[in-house]
Amino acid sequence: MTPSFLEIKGLTKNFGGLRAVNNVSFSMERDQILGLIGPNGAGKTTLLRLITGILKPDAGSIRFMGNEIIGRKTWDIVNMGIACTFQNMRPFRRLPIIANVMVSCLSPRAMKRGEWVKRLEAKAMDALEFAGISDMARERASTLSQGDLKRLEVARAVATEPELLLLDEPFGGLSPAETDLMAKSIKRLHKGGRFGRLHSEGPAMIIVEHKLQWLMKIVDRIVVLNFGTIIADGTPDEIVNNPRVIEAYLGRGEI
Amino acid sequence: MGLILFYFRKLFTVLKNEVLVLPSRVVVVFFFLFLLLLPLFTKDPYLLRIFTLTSIFAILAASWDLLSGFTGQMNFGHALFFGVGAYAAALLNRHANLPPWGTIPLGALAAVVAGLVIGIPCLRLRGTYLALTTLAFPIILMGLVFAFPDLTGGELGISGIARLARSRVADYYIAVVLMLGLCTIMWKITDSNTGIIFHAIREDELAVRASGINTTRYKLLAFCLSGFFAGVSGGLYAHFMRIAGPSTLEVSLSFQVVIWAIFGGIVTIYGPVGAVFVLFPLLEFLRFWQDYRTLMFAGVVLLILLYMPDGLFRWLRDKIEKECPRCKIRNVAMRHTCRVCTAPLD
Repeated sequence: MTPSFLEIKGLTKNFGGLRAVNNVSFSMERDQILGLIGPNGAGKTTLLRLITGILKPDAGSIRFMGNEIIGRKTWDIVNMGIACTFQNMRPFRRLPIIANVMVSCLSPRAMKRGEWVKRLEAKAMDALEFAGISDMARERASTLSQGDLKRLEVARAVATEPELLLLDEPFGGLSPAETDLMAKSIKRLHKGGRFGRLHSEGPAMIIVEHKLQWLMKIVDRIVVLNFGTIIADGTPDEIVNNPRVIEAYLGRGEI
Repeated sequence: MGLILFYFRKLFTVLKNEVLVLPSRVVVVFFFLFLLLLPLFTKDPYLLRIFTLTSIFAILAASWDLLSGFTGQMNFGHALFFGVGAYAAALLNRHANLPPWGTIPLGALAAVVAGLVIGIPCLRLRGTYLALTTLAFPIILMGLVFAFPDLTGGELGISGIARLARSRVADYYIAVVLMLGLCTIMWKITDSNTGIIFHAIREDELAVRASGINTTRYKLLAFCLSGFFAGVSGGLYAHFMRIAGPSTLEVSLSFQVVIWAIFGGIVTIYGPVGAVFVLFPLLEFLRFWQDYRTLMFAGVVLLILLYMPDGLFRWLRDKIEKECPRCKIRNVAMRHTCRVCTAPLD
């Protein structure tokens, strides 16, 4: 039996007395786009940070392509093929946008994989073009608007050429038109055929998002978190009709 | 003959298209020429001595900028590297009888080790905490120096070290050529891919990790590189002054370096170098008013920092050059259109 692509078992994380992620277990396959939703404070971002190794879990295991990744350093995990974006954007503000992306291109994984693309700048430009901000490549990151910063985050994550891409609110702060563009780029990225990997499939993704109507169009499967536990798992249609999900978001109705 | 002509023409083209278009580059060329040709016009030992010391401290200031300006690892104990370089060179010279060209590189390597020793415990610290921790290290070493007076000479230091070279002019040339070469290397490092990662670590370390870069390795690299260059300057100092004493480890030297770097403008290599070349001779010049020397010095530094918070040389550069809003290439301030993309400069 081949090990599943990403397998999370019994993952638990406490912040003092608060149990942010409580015994979460799920697995996903290589070709999936998984949506992760839940009310505020449900532990979605914490879960992503546990996967990328920024936070250390108190219990549980995460296996990525058959390897245990808990206890590894963040950069090791990124070089294994998991890239993430930050919800509150963290660009290198005083550097030009292209340099922001070049840092990702300089990671060992990106250096190894895109060997045939000789020039670093060309690779970085490629990622910027994908995100749609290549015309501002020489501007400083501090001059960007919120929406463009979001795209820069995506460009930076994509430049490491991940197998699994964790997007933390990729549509946050974007106008409807921009959201549409971003959704299309994500869909296109998933189909593959970008970034030095012409004949390969695109990355699997976990997307945390609140704009459900856009998320529904992209994802194959949705996992719903509430108070750190999974309350529902299924296709988008199943989820919108699930009474527990409606209760978690809206509360129980008094009749 | 044709080959020589070819290179000559190439040199001329580069000069015309790359150097003469920007006043800052012209200034750098003149700075190089001035330093290299100065002994042809004057052999005044006092002047040469000042410029030799200035060159040595310029290396030190630039190496601080590499670590604290670029990588953002605030180091308030930079004298440690300088002192380790100086003491190592002195001990090797006295006890192993190595000549200066052997002791200075070995002293620099000792400073690299010192960089590792303080870099590893400081990996988790940042900001103020890092600054205070680094401040402690030269003081600890100074305590060790006083604790073993047999080896280190205690308060008197190690004297009677071999001269750098036979004559003043040779001393001068060794210091100046090393300074120009090492500072060019540092500038090249900051301009390379490694330099981009250094910049990025200063801006946001977590984001660099999330980009798949081993930040531990790069931070230690910054500590080691900075230690190496500072160690070279320490070794040069020991051989030039012919003494390695506790003054090379003093807190005041650590802060002197910070003042030089901030005066000239951090996150540029040329800033600290230029600042040393302004401030060090200035301090000598102010000997006219012996009593008010330090006060005047402090006044000058305060005035500059008050009106040019980015540093003197950044400010000067922005006065004579403008950045093209479209292609971000620098132009002479007098131009109305960009020299490359012809976009109007406001």
